[in-house]
Amino acid sequence: MMHQLSARALRDEVAAGRLSALEVADYFLKRIHALDGDVGAFLRVLDARVREKARAVDEKRQRGEPLGKLAGVPIALKDNIHVEGEISTCGSRFLTNYKAPFDATVTRLIEAEDGLIIGKTNQDEFAMGSSTENSALQKTFNPWNLKCSPGGSSGGSAAAVAARMCPLALGSDTGGSVRQPAAFCGVVGLKPTYGRVSRNGLVAYASSLDQIGPLATNTDDIGLLMDVIGRHCDKDSTSLRWDAESYALEGGIQGLKIGVPWLFLEQLAEEPKKHFMAALETLKSLGASILDVDLSILKYSLSTYYILATAEASTNLARFDGIRYGVRAPEAKTLEEVYELSKEQGFGAEVKRRILLGTFVLSSGYQDAYYKKAQKVRRLIIDGYKAAFAQCDLVATPVSPFAAFEMGVIKDPLQMYLEDIYTIGINLAGIPAVSVPAGFTTDKKPLGLQLMGPVKEDQRVLTAAYAFEQAAPFAREMPPLKEVK
Amino acid sequence: MEWETVIGLEIHAELNTKSKLFSVAPNHFGDEPNTNISEVCTGQPGSLPVLNEEVVRKAVQFGCAINGRINHFSKFDRKSYFYPDSPRNFQITQYDQPIISGGVVFAEVEGTEQSFQVNRVHIEDDAGMLKHFSNFAGVDYNRAGVPLIEIVSEPCLHSPKEACSYAMAVKAILQYIDASDCNMEEGSLRFDANVSVRKKGEQALRNKIEIKNMNSFSFLELAIEAEVNRQIAFYEKDPHGKILQATYRWDPEKKETVLMRRKEKAEDYRYFPEPDLVPILLDEAYIQEIREALPELPLQRERRYVKELGLSSHQAFVLTYDKPLADYFETALDITPQAKALCNWLTVEFAGRFKESGKNLVASGIPASHVAELVVLIDNGTITGRIAKSVADDMVAHPARAPAAIVAANPDYQPVNDTGEIEKLVDQVLAENPQSITDFLSGRDKAFAFLVGQVMKMTRGKASPQVVNDLLNAKIKHAAK
Repeated sequence: MMHQLSARALRDEVAAGRLSALEVADYFLKRIHALDGDVGAFLRVLDARVREKARAVDEKRQRGEPLGKLAGVPIALKDNIHVEGEISTCGSRFLTNYKAPFDATVTRLIEAEDGLIIGKTNQDEFAMGSSTENSALQKTFNPWNLKCSPGGSSGGSAAAVAARMCPLALGSDTGGSVRQPAAFCGVVGLKPTYGRVSRNGLVAYASSLDQIGPLATNTDDIGLLMDVIGRHCDKDSTSLRWDAESYALEGGIQGLKIGVPWLFLEQLAEEPKKHFMAALETLKSLGASILDVDLSILKYSLSTYYILATAEASTNLARFDGIRYGVRAPEAKTLEEVYELSKEQGFGAEVKRRILLGTFVLSSGYQDAYYKKAQKVRRLIIDGYKAAFAQCDLVATPVSPFAAFEMGVIKDPLQMYLEDIYTIGINLAGIPAVSVPAGFTTDKKPLGLQLMGPVKEDQRVLTAAYAFEQAAPFAREMPPLKEVK
Repeated sequence: MEWETVIGLEIHAELNTKSKLFSVAPNHFGDEPNTNISEVCTGQPGSLPVLNEEVVRKAVQFGCAINGRINHFSKFDRKSYFYPDSPRNFQITQYDQPIISGGVVFAEVEGTEQSFQVNRVHIEDDAGMLKHFSNFAGVDYNRAGVPLIEIVSEPCLHSPKEACSYAMAVKAILQYIDASDCNMEEGSLRFDANVSVRKKGEQALRNKIEIKNMNSFSFLELAIEAEVNRQIAFYEKDPHGKILQATYRWDPEKKETVLMRRKEKAEDYRYFPEPDLVPILLDEAYIQEIREALPELPLQRERRYVKELGLSSHQAFVLTYDKPLADYFETALDITPQAKALCNWLTVEFAGRFKESGKNLVASGIPASHVAELVVLIDNGTITGRIAKSVADDMVAHPARAPAAIVAANPDYQPVNDTGEIEKLVDQVLAENPQSITDFLSGRDKAFAFLVGQVMKMTRGKASPQVVNDLLNAKIKHAAK
């Protein structure tokens, strides 16, 4: 059964000629068409395109040319990542007619390694949200419990991988948007070091925090995809001048010191705490030592994030004015009406809320109290992590205070923002962090363990996740979806 | 003078780089609308700005040329405002940490050299252009993302003439370092002036009026002059009145400044650091390399012309502030060392002949060598100064024709070299004007000039004035004996 194979195994089958890329594409297309009616992960399935690319891979193999690292592997992209000529809605009504005029760098890198982009996945509108419920286009459900949210904002990508509708997917993570849905859906998700993966072709939410990250059913596949997309890119000025690194993950964690910010975790509820403690025991059994670190500065991370992210977003989204692209309000007659009505009709409530908040914190008279102060706190948070990493090699926390919640139950935006309490500081500091499955609640919802490391220590983070996953293979369990024949 | 004028100038200069400030789209004027564009300069979602290094180099060159401080750290900021010509609805500019701080510009104001302080120079991107049609408006993004440097003077200019001279000097520097085409018609050099007046001796500045987007030196001067007069008239009518801060534009038809918008509330641009770009970090070696490679600057060239060529500082200034003209001058100088005569032909004679048409000598198609040749023809006595002026007229009419050929082809331009013939005419003039001889002999020099003129008239200017002079002198003296 192809959907039970890892991306690496699939690739090896294709490279060896035991499977054709077209067979793989058709298998997963069939699976998507059978399952996605229930899950709602995909906004668009690129049937024709993926089959055409698959044929090209097969022809390449027939010509005896060497195949790329992702040959024949279906990969889903969050809908804020451009594929030239295909619609990129970003989950927004405003962009329902927007065809991307160029490939994102990640798209180009994946296709250069013969990866197959199979579809575009649902997300919270412009990546603003933690449940994918802010998508203006459709609902996405958690494959483990179809009453529940898959998390967000990369909920479509996480759900697609969890349901094995594709072995790999890309999301974007601005405050936890890869890691939290990965945890909710029982898959692995990485937020790389800021600047490791090019943002060129990723529709910006908050430029200084956004980072594209991979989702997979196992840590090794995360490394496989990072090996392809973790490159310096001349089209992104914030891209690190840092050559590709090794993603050999077998090194183990014997002797590593893992810090836990207990003070910061005080509020953690009983059940997730129990699983987190169990995960720490597993890490200890692998030879790591656990110590307490002080990251109490993180209590300011949520408010800092919602000032800085919204400030950047208010300007990043200013371009969606109905002049050059997107859906222009048809009844608008004057310039003012084009602006006002296009935004009024094109944006959802959460996007409007964040644009207003961001505009406010940048306004003269308020900028010092909000934006500039938040910049200073961001510096303190960076320093806080640095101090912690002077004592330990990695820091461990849960990914989220809770497991997946039912659709529609969180109505208060502030309550929803709290979803990201453990993930958000990592974006402010630009450090790498992985979410790896760490057990199930009694009602069989996945929980995630988050491991983070210093800047540019993505490999260390993944090595630890890999070791953990070998010892506690929760990711191998599959959600209870109907069988595809 | 009871009133003092205070002017600060903001000069926007489009840099003549190959590509735009943050994208690989060509930086080129005059093409079909929306052809020189990329995903970056049309603000497509997902596109990111990448700084063009050539822009930084040109900005640093300018900073070195005005002896400003080149900042080792500078950064970009977002300036938010909504307008259809702004593809992202924010401009990327440098708000509080510009690439250049301070600097001095030397200019000639009505024959006197003065220095003016520059406050800062920063890099920013230009906007697109709106085009209005009968029932809709279109936006051309060819200009969007074109690199600009904005050169902000201190409020140290005290007359429309000073403002104009300063602006001309800035233009000259930009041309000398080849940073900008400075093509005013194409809008590659634009001026905003902040103007206020105050009573002499007053310490505080009164509210200023900003006159936006002037693209010629004469408009700049006229607009400031009109605005200064308007403000003085206002205060004289209402000594306790207050002018409200506002933005005006110059209306060349009405010849007055016209209100565009009041600035009752300061516009809130919500500046903050551009997160898609990293700061510009420059090391001393980079700056030093640029400083050492700077070409000759207008001030240096002006001083060289005075010192080595003996031009007056005014002549030198008129030549040097217009770099193409100065280069033209130097080409001509390779042929004849007559610097002063050349300068006169370039800046007075030919300049006058092109004034009406709005064209200029350099672009006329007349090669510099032809102007030099004209000077040589006068110098070696082939033609008289008077004939030379007619030859110059013909050169303007037929830019490709060489002066020697023009002279050879026209019998009227052949000088009368036959002394015998001239002598007959001299005799005739002396015979017809006995009173003038008497006047001259009693000390009136004007009478002699009259006699010369009479002879020249009869030769239609073709006789050598020297020969006529000599003959007249000799004959009068001879007769008086």
